[in-house]
Amino acid sequence: MKQTTFCTPLEVKPDSCSRLIAVVERMRAAEDGRHAGAPENFARLKRDVPTLHFMSMSVFPASEFDPTLIFEANIDGAPGVFWGQLEAAFGERLREVLRCCKRPLDEDGPLYDAVTAAQSRAPVAAYFETRTHQPSVFHHGNRGMTRDRILREDELFAAVRLQIDRPGRIGPSPYRGIGAVDVHGKLRRELLPDFGWLNDPAETRISAAEHIADGVRMFAFVAAVLLVLATPGLALAAIFTSSWFLLLYMALAIAVIALTAYLKRKPLAGAEVDTHFNPIPGLLKNSGMIAGFLVAYLGAAILLLTPIVLASRWVLARLGVAPGLSLDAAWRSVAVASLWGLVGIAVSAGLLLLWLRYLERRDSSHDAPSIDEPLLREMVRREDWIAQNHMGSIVIVKPGVLRTIIIRVGHLGLGLLLRFTAMNGYLGSMRTVHFAHWAFLNNGSRLLFLSNFDHSWDSYLDDFIEKASVGLTLAWGCGIGFPPTRFAILDGASHGRQFKDWALASRAVSRFWYSAYRELTVDQIERNNRIADGLRKPELGETEAATWIRNL
Amino acid sequence: MDTQPVAASHKQRPSWKLAAPNDALVQGLVVSGFGDLETGRALLLEFRWPEDPAAANLGAWLKTLAGVAPITNAQPPDKTAPGAQSSRAAALAFSWTGLQRLGLPATALASFSRPFVEGMFQEDRLRRLGDRRSGEWLETVVPGGPGWSANTPPRTAISSLRSAFDVPDGGHQEEHVVTDITVHALLLLYTHGEADAAAWTNAVADALRPHQVAVVHTLELVLDVESNGISREHFGFADGLSQPAPYDENGAVLLDGNLVGKNNKNAVQGVPLGEFLIGYLNGHHENSPGPVTPGDLEAQPDKRDPRPSAAGLPPHRTAEGFFDLGLNGSYLVARELKQNVAAFWNAMDRNAAAICEHDPANSGHVTAEWIAQRVVGRDREGHLLCPGGVLKADALDLPDSNYLFYDRDAQATGCPAGSHVRRANPRDSLAPNPLQKADLLQAANNHRILRRARKFGTRIADYRVDDGANRGLLFMCLNTDIARQFEFVQQTWLLNSDFATLRSEVDPLVGPKGPMTIHETPLRRTVHVDTFVQAAGGDYFFLPSLPALSYLAML
Repeated sequence: MKQTTFCTPLEVKPDSCSRLIAVVERMRAAEDGRHAGAPENFARLKRDVPTLHFMSMSVFPASEFDPTLIFEANIDGAPGVFWGQLEAAFGERLREVLRCCKRPLDEDGPLYDAVTAAQSRAPVAAYFETRTHQPSVFHHGNRGMTRDRILREDELFAAVRLQIDRPGRIGPSPYRGIGAVDVHGKLRRELLPDFGWLNDPAETRISAAEHIADGVRMFAFVAAVLLVLATPGLALAAIFTSSWFLLLYMALAIAVIALTAYLKRKPLAGAEVDTHFNPIPGLLKNSGMIAGFLVAYLGAAILLLTPIVLASRWVLARLGVAPGLSLDAAWRSVAVASLWGLVGIAVSAGLLLLWLRYLERRDSSHDAPSIDEPLLREMVRREDWIAQNHMGSIVIVKPGVLRTIIIRVGHLGLGLLLRFTAMNGYLGSMRTVHFAHWAFLNNGSRLLFLSNFDHSWDSYLDDFIEKASVGLTLAWGCGIGFPPTRFAILDGASHGRQFKDWALASRAVSRFWYSAYRELTVDQIERNNRIADGLRKPELGETEAATWIRNL
Repeated sequence: MDTQPVAASHKQRPSWKLAAPNDALVQGLVVSGFGDLETGRALLLEFRWPEDPAAANLGAWLKTLAGVAPITNAQPPDKTAPGAQSSRAAALAFSWTGLQRLGLPATALASFSRPFVEGMFQEDRLRRLGDRRSGEWLETVVPGGPGWSANTPPRTAISSLRSAFDVPDGGHQEEHVVTDITVHALLLLYTHGEADAAAWTNAVADALRPHQVAVVHTLELVLDVESNGISREHFGFADGLSQPAPYDENGAVLLDGNLVGKNNKNAVQGVPLGEFLIGYLNGHHENSPGPVTPGDLEAQPDKRDPRPSAAGLPPHRTAEGFFDLGLNGSYLVARELKQNVAAFWNAMDRNAAAICEHDPANSGHVTAEWIAQRVVGRDREGHLLCPGGVLKADALDLPDSNYLFYDRDAQATGCPAGSHVRRANPRDSLAPNPLQKADLLQAANNHRILRRARKFGTRIADYRVDDGANRGLLFMCLNTDIARQFEFVQQTWLLNSDFATLRSEVDPLVGPKGPMTIHETPLRRTVHVDTFVQAAGGDYFFLPSLPALSYLAML
């Protein structure tokens, strides 16, 4: 089943901000039994909202805006069911929350009034749903795993351990002295009575249709980007009568751009970070995909442009200006022009890079963002109690046309790429993110980042710095004050300490944070899944069993 | 123990050095654990002068100390010089409360890194270090709690000023965790022989007493290097083997007389010098940040304070009018760890017996020794466990520590994934695929510590019989970013219950009791370890450069 991630940003009445924090804190205290010695924290939420994986509520203070409440939910299936469950479980609490928030000035005002009126019984979740934002990029660590399946497979894991390591066992263990195939067979026989679902086929985590649709979306996106970048080349190909002129022009333009880029390639003093980032192996490894992109572009260009050329020539022929064109001749000339467009991409992309570099050389970085000590203490106090942690951050986006295009197109592309490629939980070499997403707020002027991850915040950020600085710089480098970047991907987040300080200053206290499986890491959920998938099979072959048994 | 020199009798690997002239400005402990000096003392000092003294010059005791125990610098000892400079060595570090009691200006006190300013015993830090949770000491701490710390005061309460619409939200009052003994400074003495160590300790204590500096806790440190060049911790395993190998792109590090930079660094253990010495390029591509001290007198803001420049402190690179107090210094993490040797070996016996009982046909190889090796990850002589045996010794016939895990033992069938050596430094083993080996090694090397530990207490007579004696390890390490280095190793590697796709298990050697997985074919085994190591005290210290030490003496 598909998972859904979304957030609801609500502007807070400044006078009621402190009240709101108190309401959210009380809500957490009522559900979180950690300090009361309850057997399980958030038991009610777990029971009444079974579609929910992670949920958070944070209040972000800002010097440029009134405080913003961010409600975050990561759920199974479509939001409708979830909102219904949440309404039943938390309706009145959420109404209290909502009363501390501003009445929207747009057409949702009357709904706000209806929901927050004294003694109102109108469903409050409906209002939250109306104000929901969709993420610009999101990542799901254990894709296609429903909450119940995660919990079920973890129960199975515990039972497997108990079978093998039964405490207080006297004498030989039945699991010793036999091969992997027999261990599997015996475990399955022993566990089947309690885990009847092992006989049912496993639900497909990511269906072929979903994956193909993701692929088509990604290729369509790349083809569209290439087409836009190729437009100058296509136009020139139409204008120039001689391909020699065209060739000369292109060569000159590329040479000028390359020379300028070479001259400006050096980082500004003190801004350089020497990492062993080398894009060549990555490009070679993905050369198949790159070739695919180019074919997608050519295909799209020919399909899109041939009818236009045919139609315009037909009109021209009707007007008697030019002779008509056969379909064959038309698509050939379009193909030639598209190839010229491809060459032209080097020119337009190069120009954009130079423009970007011009901006980068004049960006201000925030070397010592002020960190609010009381808030920092509140954050640290809530962290590192369980295997997982939560972070929320809001940064202001750099202004300007180019930056807006890069961030919008970049996020769209990154989101599609993640959807198509990150299917086993790994983001590069990191497998610590359960649910994370970015979303634009305030008409795109602010960028929200929310993540539910494994291990400490410091180790999470260190992972980014050490293993994914290029992607992170691309995605977050649009934030005002980000450490100096070079060509959008270099330096940036590799300024480890500076980047961490910047990220820390943008965070808010996660006042209410719920995880449906507090003890499980992304890695462990995948391990449980491998064990369960093996046990679903009546028999394993020798090789298969030898690999499978390593998971126990 | 007799006083014969041990330097000549055992093999040593060439060790790195600092290039002149900075070697004269850095404490010797940075470049050396003084392995030639087998006896030592850790003296924990408390400053007992009144809170608000009328008399100035609180640093005067440092001048007295310079007479009786001069702090050793990082220049290579001149063995030919008369007076045998290398027969004694000393190092000195201060806790935050110590610097405060010395009268360091408030701005300087605030300029240290957050972990140092807050102290190891800050409530949230203790939780992350696995010492204390929800107001209770955990089992990895001696019963009743640790005996000593810097007793850093709780951070200033957050402003109680109310604004118009404040609503109480059931906020949290930070707990102030206090130990009986307050440590303001840590003085380390290294020498030959028990007799000299005792005499020297007395001389130091006598000299400091008139200055109201008291020795409040003493640990008798030993390093009994054997003829084969290794020394053992109390459980019986070779210790102190794997260390980072610093390099510096700007020519600060020498090895065998050659500068060590990015291009000729050690491929496995190479770590930038700035990870261990403040003011040099570090793993985050910047000069590691450190504390400053003001150049103006607090009482007379228009007057220059002559002391920083007189002590030889350079002006700070970015803070105009401030002097660089941190340059050539480091942070020293110290933890007194008690070891229960009999509990360790009895647990190994019990587990071996259990495994043999449950699997009589296939457990011929499983002995207490076999399990203990897997808990540590090396054999007793220090050789890394590999699939089918141990890693062979290096060219000097010493245990080879320049190994990587991924190609040798990706499935951890030789050296268990949860073993102490693999958790303490996973190297490239956390790479999900071969393409990422280099990245993951590089990432792991951003969290290295320079270990300077020594054991205390006598060797146990019978590994299986508890004699009640106090023995253990004074864990000490140097790093410039305590959170990213020492705390990360402790939290994200050693005590991470989900390290390397394991579940609900932590470091079997230094963590609390619990299971440990040992991969075998066909089916993994689980052993159940107890708590063998307990913290009896500790805190974060600042190891100043020699000019910084001169400056402190002028306070």
